[in-house]
Amino acid sequence: MSDPALPIAEEELHAWIDGQLDPAREPVVLRYLQEQPDVARRVAAWREQRAALRAAFASVAAEPVPPRLGLEQLIQQRLGRRRLPWRAAAAVLLAFGLGGVGGWFLHGGQPTQAGTMTLLAQQAVANHVVYTADRRRPTELGALQRDDLARWVSNRLNHQVAPPDLSADGYSYMGGRLAATPDGPAGLFMYDDPQGVRLTVFVLPLSEAATMPIQHVDFAHVDGCAWIDKSVGYTVVGKLPPPELRRIAELVRKQLG
Amino acid sequence: MAPCVPFLGTGADAIDVRSPPRRADDGADHAVTVSGVLTRIEACIPALRRYAAALLRNRDDADDLVHDCLVRALDKLHTRRDDADVRAWLFAIMHNLFISQLRRAKARPAGEPLDETHEAAMSIRADQESGLQWRDLIRGLNALPVEQRSVILLVSVEDLSYADAAHVLGIPIGTVMSRLARGRERLRQLTEEDEVRPVLRRVK
Repeated sequence: MSDPALPIAEEELHAWIDGQLDPAREPVVLRYLQEQPDVARRVAAWREQRAALRAAFASVAAEPVPPRLGLEQLIQQRLGRRRLPWRAAAAVLLAFGLGGVGGWFLHGGQPTQAGTMTLLAQQAVANHVVYTADRRRPTELGALQRDDLARWVSNRLNHQVAPPDLSADGYSYMGGRLAATPDGPAGLFMYDDPQGVRLTVFVLPLSEAATMPIQHVDFAHVDGCAWIDKSVGYTVVGKLPPPELRRIAELVRKQLG
Repeated sequence: MAPCVPFLGTGADAIDVRSPPRRADDGADHAVTVSGVLTRIEACIPALRRYAAALLRNRDDADDLVHDCLVRALDKLHTRRDDADVRAWLFAIMHNLFISQLRRAKARPAGEPLDETHEAAMSIRADQESGLQWRDLIRGLNALPVEQRSVILLVSVEDLSYADAAHVLGIPIGTVMSRLARGRERLRQLTEEDEVRPVLRRVK
């Protein structure tokens, strides 16, 4: 490829223009251009042409992307359809915001224990998004099997827990399930209001002994409240105004604490 | 459901216990990989719009093409194993859509006026001094066979390597290089011809 003695092919002149020439051939090309003013003139014209084309269309790439080509919007539209094999991942991504999982934070967290709180909230939100999006089978055991679920979850969590009653706040219990986290099993209880807005209560026993007051968790598309009580993490997640979430969180804490 | 495997993370080999990023569950596990690809896709949208606008004369048609390309990419996302080469992958999807669009258009009687102004270039013309030269350049570009036009644009404007351009167009690298050489030379002749044949220009 790089034999400097080979004659110059026209393709090499273009490769030189495009910065894709084998560096070993560059001196040969340059010498050739010095010796051949006609060729040099054509090469100069091609280079100008290249620069002119770049300039001609540069403004298109600098424009703001129109909303209908926004990726988040397109994903949202695709979620409504059946054939999206990564539905669950897409839903989680939308909850966290496309900017990445790092694009959210806890308010007022203490730096030493923020890690645990962050992890707790992240797991709660991921499970919330995956299971509340499920129209047909959002829960493993429905409202009628409340006691079965309480027994099952309590056994697996090794911690006595029963679905809290939020009917006073207008949320009726739909059912629940066991959820998976890197810290072991968690309990997930789901509720909805008369408009069909779903919220979840997430219970995860933690290995570290800790107690943390209720904190607001701000994700891109959902809000939550997280707290830790005697080494058990709790989270309430839903698309609700933060004060309302906070009230529900207080109610849950009173019942489960 | 076989194509889902790379993102499902259910197989034992999909879980790397040595360097565990804290994951929420399977869903979040997908999210790590999917979000990498999505972030790259998002970064490519301006370039996709530019290429489409340069390829098609009408800006709305161009954005329609980008829209179809993004939708197709989202539908095919599960076939990707990593987030490498996302740009070439997207340009390839868009090129294929463009080609099938051309085929459909050929099946219909041609109703497009030849002298239709290139909207993408028009927006530039207004704030450039050498308006006529721009117009010659764009006219020349539009006069090229689409095979040459796409190579020129992918390499000159989109900065694709010859290898990536070959991948996008589904042709050998050698063909990319020869089409590029022929296309550029033809475009040079067309623009220089225009300079010596003012008859072709509109009389002011």
